[in-house]
Amino acid sequence: MEVKDIVDIDTIKTNMNVKSKEEAIQKLAEVLLANEYITDVEAFLKDIYAREAVGQTGIGNYIAIPHGNSDAVQKVGVAIGITEQEIPWETLDGKGVKGIILFAVPKQNDGSKQHLKLLSLFARKLGNDEVVEKMLMAKNAEDVKAALI
Amino acid sequence: MMKIVGVAACTVGIAHTYIAQEKLETAGKKRGHEIQIETQGTIGVENELTQKQIDEADIVILAVDVKIAGRERFEGKRIIQVSTEIAVKSPNKLIEKAEQVVNAQK
Repeated sequence: MEVKDIVDIDTIKTNMNVKSKEEAIQKLAEVLLANEYITDVEAFLKDIYAREAVGQTGIGNYIAIPHGNSDAVQKVGVAIGITEQEIPWETLDGKGVKGIILFAVPKQNDGSKQHLKLLSLFARKLGNDEVVEKMLMAKNAEDVKAALI
Repeated sequence: MMKIVGVAACTVGIAHTYIAQEKLETAGKKRGHEIQIETQGTIGVENELTQKQIDEADIVILAVDVKIAGRERFEGKRIIQVSTEIAVKSPNKLIEKAEQVVNAQK
């Protein structure tokens, strides 16, 4: 398995018309639900916001990585949203956010180590400025996936 | 050229750990250094440092938000410790700081 196996075309949304962090996270959580990564949006969001309370998930370069472990997750994965406009977010460089990667990670993860390994390789890519730049320019889900693999 | 080793570990162990690793390794290599960052995350220890690498290193960078396993391996070494957020935000500055610390002690 490779990083591309963790990037699901069906959970990538481009040209998202959202105005706030809450709206973006809500929409991406609904995408995860629709694609059977999570079983319950409300329970999932509770765990995501618990992590948000601990520290900034805006890592700079217009990217945010809301994440957390949740019992509402049944399959390891990510939802990726590219927004039409910059939205306000707590970030390390004080800028807003245009790319949101919402991580779905189960609390009990004994059976998902291989997928979590892929997720860690995926996370590394978000530390690469060129990858991020390409991803933010993407006009459709295929472009996003191509930027990341 | 310096030899740098380090550890990245964040609270959840899913994202910041690996982003910090990538940023530090990229920034270190860009400035001509040899660098390896071990990660301690949800999936355990990856990219594990050997004691030889640690012994030969000029400096240790710990980008950690939690208590790490095997900290005693770095006993007696020059250590720069920051949060993963700092490593993600300012990797280049952190490497420059490491250069200053090492050069000041030469």
